[in-house]
Amino acid sequence: MATASSTAPDLAWTKKISSPQELAPYRRALIESMDPDAPRIRVCCGTGCKAVGSLEVLEAMKTAVAAAGADVHVMPEVKRTGCHGFCSRGPLLTLEPQGLFYQRVKPEDAVEIVQKTVVAGEVIQRFLYKPPGAKEAIAKVGDIPFFAKQTKLVLKRVGRIDPFDIRDAIAEGAYEGLAKVLAGMTPQQVIEEIKISRLRGRGGAGFPTGIKWESCAGQPGRHYVICNGDEGDPGAFMDASVMEGDPHAVLEGMAIAAYAMGSDRGFLYVRMEYPLAVQTLAAAIRQAEDLGLMGQNIMGTDFSFRTSISTGAGAFVCGESSALMSSLEGKVGRPRAKYIRSTEKGFRDSPSNLNNVETYANVPGIILRGGQWYTTYGTERSAGTKVFSLTGNVHNVGLVEVPMGTSLREIVFGIGGGIPNKKQLKAVQTGGPSGGCIPIPGKFIDINVGFGKLAEIGSMMGSGGMIVMDENTCMVEVSRYFINFLVEESCGQCTPCREGLTRMREILTRITGGEGREGDIELLEEIGQFTNSFSLCGLGTSAANPVLSTIRYFREEYEAHIRGKKCPAGVCKPLYYYEIDPEKCTGCGVCRKRCPAEAIEGEKKKPHTIHQELCIKCMECYRNCKFDSIRIM
Amino acid sequence: MKIIMDGKEVAAERGQTIVEVARRNGVYIPTLCHVPALEPAAMCRVCTVELAEGRRSRLVTACNYPLRGDAEIHTDTPMLRQNRKVLIELLASRCPNSEVLKGLAERYGADLNRFPGEEDRQCIMCGLCARVCERVGGNVLALCGRGVEIRVDTSFGRLSPTCIGCASCVQICPVNAIRIEDVDGERRVIVRGKEASRVPLRKCTGCGTHFGPVIDLDPVMERAGESRVPAFNASVCPACSRRHLAKRLAERHFEQHEVERRDAGEEG
Repeated sequence: MATASSTAPDLAWTKKISSPQELAPYRRALIESMDPDAPRIRVCCGTGCKAVGSLEVLEAMKTAVAAAGADVHVMPEVKRTGCHGFCSRGPLLTLEPQGLFYQRVKPEDAVEIVQKTVVAGEVIQRFLYKPPGAKEAIAKVGDIPFFAKQTKLVLKRVGRIDPFDIRDAIAEGAYEGLAKVLAGMTPQQVIEEIKISRLRGRGGAGFPTGIKWESCAGQPGRHYVICNGDEGDPGAFMDASVMEGDPHAVLEGMAIAAYAMGSDRGFLYVRMEYPLAVQTLAAAIRQAEDLGLMGQNIMGTDFSFRTSISTGAGAFVCGESSALMSSLEGKVGRPRAKYIRSTEKGFRDSPSNLNNVETYANVPGIILRGGQWYTTYGTERSAGTKVFSLTGNVHNVGLVEVPMGTSLREIVFGIGGGIPNKKQLKAVQTGGPSGGCIPIPGKFIDINVGFGKLAEIGSMMGSGGMIVMDENTCMVEVSRYFINFLVEESCGQCTPCREGLTRMREILTRITGGEGREGDIELLEEIGQFTNSFSLCGLGTSAANPVLSTIRYFREEYEAHIRGKKCPAGVCKPLYYYEIDPEKCTGCGVCRKRCPAEAIEGEKKKPHTIHQELCIKCMECYRNCKFDSIRIM
Repeated sequence: MKIIMDGKEVAAERGQTIVEVARRNGVYIPTLCHVPALEPAAMCRVCTVELAEGRRSRLVTACNYPLRGDAEIHTDTPMLRQNRKVLIELLASRCPNSEVLKGLAERYGADLNRFPGEEDRQCIMCGLCARVCERVGGNVLALCGRGVEIRVDTSFGRLSPTCIGCASCVQICPVNAIRIEDVDGERRVIVRGKEASRVPLRKCTGCGTHFGPVIDLDPVMERAGESRVPAFNASVCPACSRRHLAKRLAERHFEQHEVERRDAGEEG
């Protein structure tokens, strides 16, 4: 019985796969060796769940299963997996064959789960997920709207397999695409298939992948295949989850790309802040090389592809292609000012193909099922699916994969479960710091998410970060936050980005600090236009987007800050104060007890008052008042 | 290849940059971080122009955009003028006393005091010193730090041991922020008031004055592609050298003259 562990499994009993045809029987043998009736307990050990203690849960489950060994018919398998996606509910585990979904599990619950659910087959109610507002808890994974409404192509194995065990991945179909390619496809056929699929780069720019590969393949010289895993947008973790949950999909995609372009050398540029991704990828490369699925003479053919991991030192700008290649060469990670595509002269001045993690992870499926199949998902201009990391003021924070063209309403309300605390949806921020804020109410709620549509309304697809904002979000503060982020992450070599952003931050800080001046909005627009049109790299030319898009849609909020000296959302501290509505206040005293500054006074069952000079505006009273009696003034 | 610049067809060769073509045809494009001898870095962005190739129109930097086909270029549209104005105003907040910026400000109607800076950083971040140092000197100066904190500095801000004291950086700096001082038998390269390196000077064996830095030429020659290092071990200053040469020449000629005279005298 194979047990999963964080170290590499013993592969001594395996031999190298010596021809592409051998993979299928190997897979069958693997599947047969697994007991179909064996209960499988999958513990999510993605970064999110790990942070809330899923590794302890995993250990506890293993101990509990081992202790219960005598009681069970078939020994259950406890598996450590990548991210299940439902990060706000962690630590998570799923139990098969029943298909149960348990959330917020603690290590001390392990024995109970094993005894009751695994041995006795009974469902423990308190671990089940209850959607907001619903009366009944949902037991099965497939019935939870968060999972049921998703279409998983990229994430199909993430959360199902143990990322540290290649056999698990192979049993679920990893490397079949590569085997198909090596068994009898020419590089041209591979590129043709990708072109038919209309796959576009998932890193943000949306460049057609097939065309990129073709132009790279046509160049003379040694080719390099590089994977961009330097995902740095605040609140984005799509690539991390793919690398952590299914590293083999990325490796397989890269190998297929290398075959199509005649390359024998690949690099995975992963940011250092993703230690788990580095571990899973390193283990995956080692195991795949042991099995002859990577490295020298892959599957016994003449095709060799060696790949290694490089870690970035934490600069956001290194996600930009030329900066990434500079960094990979060992130079300072600054974008290069050259009007030449990296597919012609990139890494070491050789033709290099750089794609995002998610792009590569899409490739094996396209090869296996054909480009035509892929176009059945998504829209005319944006085929396939897209993984979004849904964060912010939304019930179901997590990782979601939906077909392109899904409406924002479906993502935020259908999958995301809506806005908590009965608040109103105000805006959705897409595309990371270079994206924009889309105002929602009434206006764009039914917009279909795709490459073209988002750009039309002043935002962008970006790599897939999606931050939901409720009515208590100050848009000026949001743009200040993103500009501040970019000031720190700008490489500093070109004038517009360095100086323009610094000035914009200064102006925005002034406005949020209550010292906004007449003409500041126009000034921001002027500098923003300048930065966006004159900057050197992709970071600079989109850096002003957060400011410009919020001015475009929320100008009145800026005006309220500057002219009225008010922050309507109640975020910028110098610009608002709290007041208790005597009509609504029941005098319950919750606010008085909660207030850390002891600024609230009042007798029981009588309206309370706030001493403004003591109030530190921590929002504690506002958040905890059950009667909506505290108002932002 | 047909290149139209500001409405007029101009002569251009394939592969030339827009700035090269403009300079050759007498079209003015402002530059701050560009000298023809160094590879363009496109950092200052002031040379941005509008370029239409085929149907697509976009903004490119003139200093490093190689023309490869038919193109129409506009170098001075109202949009470009407006953005250049903002650029100069923003740069002036770092370096308010720069003559270069004053000149450009006059041309584009920029108000150099629009964004008052906290301090005069005496640098417009053109990076020329770093680039010339890499090509000519000992690769001493570099752009250090990231983002707002980017600055020209030596490795770890220490006195550099590799400086050859060539003073190329002094020559190239458009805002005169770098200077050299030859004192006490040492050459000091001072970048924005901070000492970057000290190079010992050669002492003339003739007159005793210091006349040039002692340099390790090997790395320089290696970069120039010369395998053999030529003899560069002069121990006398140029003035003394000239004097010595004159003396030797005179001696030789005088000797010759003397001999001739003597011979003539003996005959007579």
